[in-house]
Amino acid sequence: MTRNIRSKNSPVFVFDTLNQLREHALTRGVRATFSWQREDSRLVRYANSAISLNTTEDVTRLYVTALEARRSVSTSAVIDPYDVPAMLRIVDRAIEMLPHASEIHYARTMPCLSEDTYTEANFDPELATIDGAEITAFVERATRGLETDDIMLSGNFSTGVCERAEMSTASPHINYWRGTDAGITLVLSSLKDKWEINAEQFVWRRADLDPESIYERLAWMREQYLTRPGVRLPLGAYSIVLGNAALSEYAFFLSYLSASGRMEKLGYSMLSTDDVGKQVLSPLCTMVEDPALLATFPVPVDSYGRHRERRAIFDRGVFTGFIREQSEADEYGEIPTGHDVTQLSLALLPGDRDVRTIQEFAALPRDRDILYIPYLHYVGLVNPSAGLITGTSRFGALFLKQDGSIELPYNVRLTLSLRDLFGKHLSWLSAYSEPYGSSSSYGARNPGTVLVPVLGGFEDVEIEISNESF
Amino acid sequence: MSNTDRVPTPNQWKEHIKRLTAGGASYADVRYYSEDLSGNISLHNGNLVNPYSGGSGIAQQSESGYGVRCLYGGAWGFAASSDPAQITATFDRALDNAKTAAGRVSFPIRLADKEVLSGEFVSPCARDPFDVPIEEQIAFLNGLDAVLNQTGVAQRAINLSATRTKIEYYDSEGAEIRKQIINFFPSMTVMGRGTSGDMQRRTYKPPRLGESRGWEIMDPEHWHTEGERLVRELNELLVAPACPVDTRSVIILPDMMFLQVHETIGHALELDRILGYELSFAGGSFVRLEDFGNLQYGSTRLTARADATVPNSPGSFGYDDDGVAAQNRLLIDRGTLVGAISSRQTVTEANAKAGRDIFAGSGGANRACAFNRTPIERMTNINIDPGNDGNLDDIIADTERGIIVSGDRSWSIGSNREQFHFATEIAWLVEDGKRCGVVRNPSYQGMTLDFYRSLTAVGDASTWEVHYVPNCGKGAPGQIMQLGHGIPVCRFDNVKVGE
Repeated sequence: MTRNIRSKNSPVFVFDTLNQLREHALTRGVRATFSWQREDSRLVRYANSAISLNTTEDVTRLYVTALEARRSVSTSAVIDPYDVPAMLRIVDRAIEMLPHASEIHYARTMPCLSEDTYTEANFDPELATIDGAEITAFVERATRGLETDDIMLSGNFSTGVCERAEMSTASPHINYWRGTDAGITLVLSSLKDKWEINAEQFVWRRADLDPESIYERLAWMREQYLTRPGVRLPLGAYSIVLGNAALSEYAFFLSYLSASGRMEKLGYSMLSTDDVGKQVLSPLCTMVEDPALLATFPVPVDSYGRHRERRAIFDRGVFTGFIREQSEADEYGEIPTGHDVTQLSLALLPGDRDVRTIQEFAALPRDRDILYIPYLHYVGLVNPSAGLITGTSRFGALFLKQDGSIELPYNVRLTLSLRDLFGKHLSWLSAYSEPYGSSSSYGARNPGTVLVPVLGGFEDVEIEISNESF
Repeated sequence: MSNTDRVPTPNQWKEHIKRLTAGGASYADVRYYSEDLSGNISLHNGNLVNPYSGGSGIAQQSESGYGVRCLYGGAWGFAASSDPAQITATFDRALDNAKTAAGRVSFPIRLADKEVLSGEFVSPCARDPFDVPIEEQIAFLNGLDAVLNQTGVAQRAINLSATRTKIEYYDSEGAEIRKQIINFFPSMTVMGRGTSGDMQRRTYKPPRLGESRGWEIMDPEHWHTEGERLVRELNELLVAPACPVDTRSVIILPDMMFLQVHETIGHALELDRILGYELSFAGGSFVRLEDFGNLQYGSTRLTARADATVPNSPGSFGYDDDGVAAQNRLLIDRGTLVGAISSRQTVTEANAKAGRDIFAGSGGANRACAFNRTPIERMTNINIDPGNDGNLDDIIADTERGIIVSGDRSWSIGSNREQFHFATEIAWLVEDGKRCGVVRNPSYQGMTLDFYRSLTAVGDASTWEVHYVPNCGKGAPGQIMQLGHGIPVCRFDNVKVGE
């Protein structure tokens, strides 16, 4: 068996390994689940127009949960993927701890897969083999001629192969997923004036890497920031256009604070069961969870073997109900909805405004001043029950004036209710969507995106802090 | 790295390092984590369940591996692996990565001089949490849960989180360091839905409780007393009026002030942020190199320091991951900016770019969170020195119109740390020098410099507490770090409060 994660034999290797663990647990008379996560990651990081870090890592993680009646214990480890005895010790550790756990008040459902599922729809062998020289060539092309002594390049090109697999003692079947992804963030910033602009791209196959679109955005934004005046906006209400990154941030929190059944049970949801079937958001707002959306790195079956289906969370503003995981079903008597997955496949569906980029939008005639916010920094949940969140603009806001001119607003803070934002404030959505990366920033590589329109228009949105400079 | 018979001896690690320097690397180091263990026990409404994932309430995670860092042509290369069979290849990959990076260098990296040390650091712990039988831990949790299970409490969550890390460090300059660090972060939270319909909560995350931070801090009497306080305060919150939207003095207790300092002094003064190394994700800083020695960061009552010598704190770790011994450095001296959180790399670059010697050697703050992450500037203990404005009661008595805020609930900060918005769990109004009733959903916001320049009272040593941060996020790839803050009660005037 090859040791290469990229080998076509890898699924067989993982199956054999997990099956050995399964048989070991059965021999010891214990029910258990096993999850495998392996990544072969590469990250090239830029700062101050240099490569500040060039790193690779090849890490495999094993997660084990032992269950007995109403007790459970989880163990996990970074492992040598070829050291089965060490993995058996991790299983044994969970088994040894299990009798010491106290019983919970309800019974847990054991995952029982009824068939093998191998999913490699998001695996691109071409992207899996991209090397450092090709990454640096991409970045050079995307930023050619844009740097100066004052304007410096920062950013990350993060790519890798991720392999996940699940099995339990309940059946000899495996749920296997393997995919490739690349997340690119390139930033140009002025040392002297402290402004910063960016362009991003999130793909799963090499053919979708598009340095030209990054170049076009950076070049256009750079031109604005070199030639337009900076301005401190007065506090008050504005017509706002949000870019793809800001929309995805709000869309993520909308799902987290409204669709998550666990948040509802914890009392932190902005919606309740009384809201199901009601018009709670604008008719322009339809959000779906759809395993057919390849850009979101979907899995066709969840951890319990349930085949996943497209489901609207908000259907033209009507709340259709909470997403329920198996653990909520067990604890609260709810019905699971097939969403026991590492990453949801969320999409805020596009609207009808025929505009693809901020460059296009800025060139259109307009009947009012418009504040363009491409990105939100450090969003905080001020009051989850009210869906109240706060965040600051970043990476190249523009003030598109009614007379056709453009100014450069210093960053502003928005503190608003998601119910209002996607309700009374929502005015239009672009007819075109792009994925925005939402993979875990701090843990293991698990690619995911939220699919959102490239632009969205909102009316009468208050800003409450306006910076005095860049 | 479970197959320990394949783990190199110290001399073998050094031989691998020598091979890299023979291959052209100007510097190389390796960190080997022989053990990186974390354990978590959660009790939610009496069940051993993680309240946020629904998964098992008992979880234990172990990691082992090594990370190799080297300089070639003025650029870093890094590689990491958990596979003991890949050690030679991983060293080679680190050098290859550095050679690739050397193709694009704008300021060749030079490391500031350091004293080459051999040493050992062991964090203070009287009773290792990993040695405490699970039954004993669960019995403690059940006893505490019974205290919390009272009228008004809809959700109860108690969490015990512990880590134990053993690290060996070797570098091409001859340093050889061993560390064993045990961290223990217990907490408890009660939640309830108020008459307004909002979910309210109170949380207790203990400050430093003694000379060590193992299981010995789980004194039942102490925790039961704190639990009763949380329940009492939660029930006050459930019927409290909303925090007024107003401009007032804000008296910030240490269990909230630590986060204020963390976000708007600590992160703002990380030298890698100031130099632009975090611009693509975590952000920059409003501070410029020319500000050191000149900028009035706050009122003259403000003296802040990065002190990695504070006893018994996660921000004290003996030696950083450059092999530099723990430092105690002034950051802000009676209001004036004088220092930064720094490493061997960034002080050299900052001094060169400033054209003057701002920094005298590394501040000893370069740390990585795991074997597979490269070291970056991280806070140590970012502290505010105690002041001369008396205790909390003295400060309240000296306040005409204010609120007292406690317990972090949400935080959002501008990317250059120039402004902020914080929500807290609870607040009390202050009118005419007296503490009045509780208000719910308190928040406050401001511009960083204006805010610290309005610092009008700093509590004395009796108000000074060391608070721990278990989850400071930064970097790409992302890193979570543990650190501390020694903080007194502070009062700021003319602050915008309310949602």
